[in-house]
Amino acid sequence: MSDHFSGPRSLTDPASDISDVFAFPCPDSPQHLVLVMDVFGKAGPSAHFSDAVIYRFRLRPAAIAATGTAASFAIGVDEVTFDFVFEVPSNPQGGEEPAQHGRCMTPSGESIPFRVNNEEGGSGDGVHVFAGQRSEPFFLDVRMIEKTVATGQLAFKKVGADTLYGTNVLAIVLKVEWAKLLKGGPMFALVCETLASGKRPVRIERVGRPEIKNVTLSWKMFDQVNRDLEIRDLYNSEDAFKLAPDYFDAYRARMNANLAFYDGLDGKMDWPVNEQGNHPLTKLLLADFLVVDASKSLGELSYFEIERSMLKGRIHDTAGGRWLNEDIMDSIFTLYVNGGNGPRVDDGIAGPIAWSSKVFPYMASPNPPKVVAS
Amino acid sequence: MIATAHDIAPANETGIADVPTTNGMIAMRNLESQIVTQQSEVALDHSTVGAQVALIELITLRGLILGRVADYERAEEIAERLVQSEPANGAALVARARTRGTFHRFLDALNDLAVAERLAPNDEMVNIERAAIFQALGQYDEAFAIRQEAATRRPSFETLGALAGLCAERGEIEAAEWLYLESRNRFRGASPFPLALLEFQFGLMWMDDGRLDDARTWFDAARRRVPAYAPAQGHLAEVEAELGEVDTAVARLLPLAMSSDDPDYAAQLARILGDAGRADESRHWCEQAAARYDQLVVRHPEAFADHAAEFWLTVGGDSNEALRLARLNFEVRKTPRAHELLSRAISANETAGMTFSSVLRPPRDRSRPTT
Repeated sequence: MSDHFSGPRSLTDPASDISDVFAFPCPDSPQHLVLVMDVFGKAGPSAHFSDAVIYRFRLRPAAIAATGTAASFAIGVDEVTFDFVFEVPSNPQGGEEPAQHGRCMTPSGESIPFRVNNEEGGSGDGVHVFAGQRSEPFFLDVRMIEKTVATGQLAFKKVGADTLYGTNVLAIVLKVEWAKLLKGGPMFALVCETLASGKRPVRIERVGRPEIKNVTLSWKMFDQVNRDLEIRDLYNSEDAFKLAPDYFDAYRARMNANLAFYDGLDGKMDWPVNEQGNHPLTKLLLADFLVVDASKSLGELSYFEIERSMLKGRIHDTAGGRWLNEDIMDSIFTLYVNGGNGPRVDDGIAGPIAWSSKVFPYMASPNPPKVVAS
Repeated sequence: MIATAHDIAPANETGIADVPTTNGMIAMRNLESQIVTQQSEVALDHSTVGAQVALIELITLRGLILGRVADYERAEEIAERLVQSEPANGAALVARARTRGTFHRFLDALNDLAVAERLAPNDEMVNIERAAIFQALGQYDEAFAIRQEAATRRPSFETLGALAGLCAERGEIEAAEWLYLESRNRFRGASPFPLALLEFQFGLMWMDDGRLDDARTWFDAARRRVPAYAPAQGHLAEVEAELGEVDTAVARLLPLAMSSDDPDYAAQLARILGDAGRADESRHWCEQAAARYDQLVVRHPEAFADHAAEFWLTVGGDSNEALRLARLNFEVRKTPRAHELLSRAISANETAGMTFSSVLRPPRDRSRPTT
């Protein structure tokens, strides 16, 4: 749940609050990509998808445009979208829990119906979908991250406390035959969005890479340019594939400041800024979409491997993207703090309560509700 | 008067006819779902201040929608405990200030905000909360300065809606209407709660202005968006009764009067039934309301003095008690409504043969047992 409560607007709207996005090659079928959008972090037993939200997967072909310090992607304009919509739960048989139904609209115009929480999901031409409550795959120690930021010292303990231990999310899983339904390839850029439905759908939130809005952009105190600006709301409203120039400098200043803070946590500089004062990761991270290479097989630790290879001017080895079981906080802190030039930063959390599997719908079954003494 | 409101660049027109939001039943189930998991997190030893503040906000929101006093009390309890364990945390203090404000403990709330401000200068939340308290206290100029500045600096659904509410309370109807619609146009999201709350505020403005048909339209919009929204249902019933639709009003209020721990619904029902000549039924609900007001005035005197005074002044039939509570209410906040309520209570006692000087003597205190 790396992006929970990513802006003031999302506070009362948990069903539209995207917590995580994953993209990885299908473990048992190389012609398929698996894409996952998690919403509603800490979903309780009665959580439902909104009937007024469009849950959208946007994919564009990606290519490596430049390597070295100017590393960047060239993103194609041929976009395909998969839209998920949900109905108001109904209870025709009079059972205890009302059942919710949904539909996935594919780029070919097909509408695939499914019942929420049914592990068989729904199938169409080259597409297999699931939506429902699952165990939270993300794990982190929020207290120690906050302490790290407050003290300027890496505060992780040998054994940390997983803030999300035993919680659930509402997940949408999309398994797609990429050569058939996507345009271009085999490298794709993915961004997930929630949109308020209506005559003119309005973007509520977008997520591509993990922990951009929270861990990377949210801290205001290091930013000497826009110290008072709540940047996440603005950021959410932008098109990930086409950032408007209006606030780009504000995002860049915030990103540069916060990345410099993280780089200094081990007492040495691994990411020297360029002549314009920009951190080497800023440009790549502000291109806030997950890039996955469908021609490669699934790797356990693949997040940002394509980009790291680009920075070093070499060919990437993995699919990139993000696999469900990757210890993403360790990956991110290692990247930001020492750039891979030192030992892997360990946040003291070794895994979630339940690992995801390599079988559809991949994510572990939801955890039972915890009993709370009133 | 509100020139600055018109200085704000208008948002893109999205139309006011309908703004789709999540079905009210889904939203309520999701709110319950959030509360259940947040309670689990807070029960852990290592729960963060953020998690506890989130729980306070969620429970307060449920209280606001369902009109549930028990939720406000629970939120206040958590906030008190949080500040005891985190006395130097600004977010905790702001959260407690909000719960204290809910129970009209305005000076305590302002003290919390002053400490929070020292801990985290320039925290926007501190000023937003302070404006709400100034407004509740009737210090409209101070509240206006903050709300206007916020709306000019960042015109949004939240800031414009807050300014609209203040203008409505100041009787600046034209400016308030423009701001309400502008706020509504700027809504971006799917949750029905913010819009239902705005529509409810809009309805209140028209009701106070005597435009009952408009009030009905907006209360009904809020009710349709969130059917469980008790205050919207209650005020809609009030308007319906005023418009002569007594049976509809009674049918709407009855389930609320039976289920809610807020006596306002029973009091309203008693008044409508009494006006309709249904004296026995009215008496039953009047007794229910009286007993509950007595309990709540003991527990939260500042918070319930206003509505309890109104009750005793009207269907409750105890002008003496009404005067005591109206005076207490006026001591707490000097709003136009508090002044008007006190004036009516004094008049009622004069009508009952009291002199003005006798009115100024403290009447019997119903919160203490009689011997």
